[in-house]
Amino acid sequence: MTIHGVIPILRMGDILLTTVHIELHDAVAEGFQADVLTAIEQRRARGLIVDISGLDVVDSYVARILAETGRMALLMGTQTVLVGMRPEVAATLVRMGYRMEGVYAALDLDEGLALLRRLGRR
Amino acid sequence: MPHRHYMTALRLDESEIQTRRSYFELGDDDLARLRTLHGLAEKHTDEFIERFYEHLLRSASTRKFFPDDATIVRVKRAQRQYFLQLFEGRCDREYVQQRVAVGVAHEHVGLAPTWYLGAYRKYLALLQVRLFDDLPAAEAQAAFLSVQKIVFFDMTLALDTYIAAHQETLARHQAALRELSTPVIRVHDGVLLLPLVGAIDSARAQQVMDTVLLRVAEEKAKCIIVDIAGVPVVDTKVADSLVKTTASVRLLGAHTILTGISAQVARTIVHLGVDVSTMHTRARLQEGIELALDLVGKRIAPVRAKRSSGE
Repeated sequence: MTIHGVIPILRMGDILLTTVHIELHDAVAEGFQADVLTAIEQRRARGLIVDISGLDVVDSYVARILAETGRMALLMGTQTVLVGMRPEVAATLVRMGYRMEGVYAALDLDEGLALLRRLGRR
Repeated sequence: MPHRHYMTALRLDESEIQTRRSYFELGDDDLARLRTLHGLAEKHTDEFIERFYEHLLRSASTRKFFPDDATIVRVKRAQRQYFLQLFEGRCDREYVQQRVAVGVAHEHVGLAPTWYLGAYRKYLALLQVRLFDDLPAAEAQAAFLSVQKIVFFDMTLALDTYIAAHQETLARHQAALRELSTPVIRVHDGVLLLPLVGAIDSARAQQVMDTVLLRVAEEKAKCIIVDIAGVPVVDTKVADSLVKTTASVRLLGAHTILTGISAQVARTIVHLGVDVSTMHTRARLQEGIELALDLVGKRIAPVRAKRSSGE
């Protein structure tokens, strides 16, 4: 079963902002992915910022969902920036061999917005 | 002549005719028997034709094929000829050709085999009554069997032709549709657009790839926008073919921009495991055009606002 609408998606101009504040279990993760893509489809989004500062643990499943969502968004012309990744999460992901291709990363929300602005100008 | 064409298409040469005849057990004795019935047939032709058309005109399904009296007069004349030919006791190429022409005509006017076979049933019924009325039982039985053989022989010829003609009509429509299905439009110098609408099967995917490559080479295009917003289902096969098209276009030194990508399509492509970083994709056609212009070093800019007349 897919659970929709648990993670709110905010819109700032042509950027979509979402904060993952709960653990992404299977059903929630799938719902989140579908919600994000639908939001991109419906609104003219240039960028997508996913704030994961609230996640203490990112396992391989969540990492895959995030990377996949980023690649799907990219197919729809939307750049994805992951922001607020905790140092220990970053270390774990790299050790597990996740390179998160197709997804940008930034330290925090401000950096993420600045990165999207730079990408837009290019 | 169309029936000549079908004679070849159905490979109706002497040996095929012989094969069919032997399968229908239509021997020379049958043909001889039919010849002896010619006089009898001639005598009853008018009544036979009248009753046959009474039957055809009674049913709404067949009546619509005879819109006016002139048509009825014409088909009755043709039918009369057809009827008498049954009793000429011939079964050569010329005869077969005449039967093939019947199938061509039926396909042409759209008379479905249902009514056609139904009419043959009436044909046989009318003939049977007539034969048993006029001849001693044993003779009538033999005559009817011979008639039945040649009628079935005719029926299969007309039916085979009907099917062949129908398939050719379908093939013609498909060819026309294929051409319509890949309209490549030049939107700007070096920029092409292919809007895809409707379902894509593997044959059409191949056609898309061929057309895209051909036109890109012809137009010396820098990029081609493929808009798939009108494609209802993009399954893994279609996605795979789009990816292959993109890769082939790259070999020609041009870019492919995929637009109209819905959430569902994005999901399919990613699950295919395609390296999306090498593909240009956009959600909407407008963004695709902007990107294409960017790739050829142009952009759409707003016209400078006109100064108000007061200044």
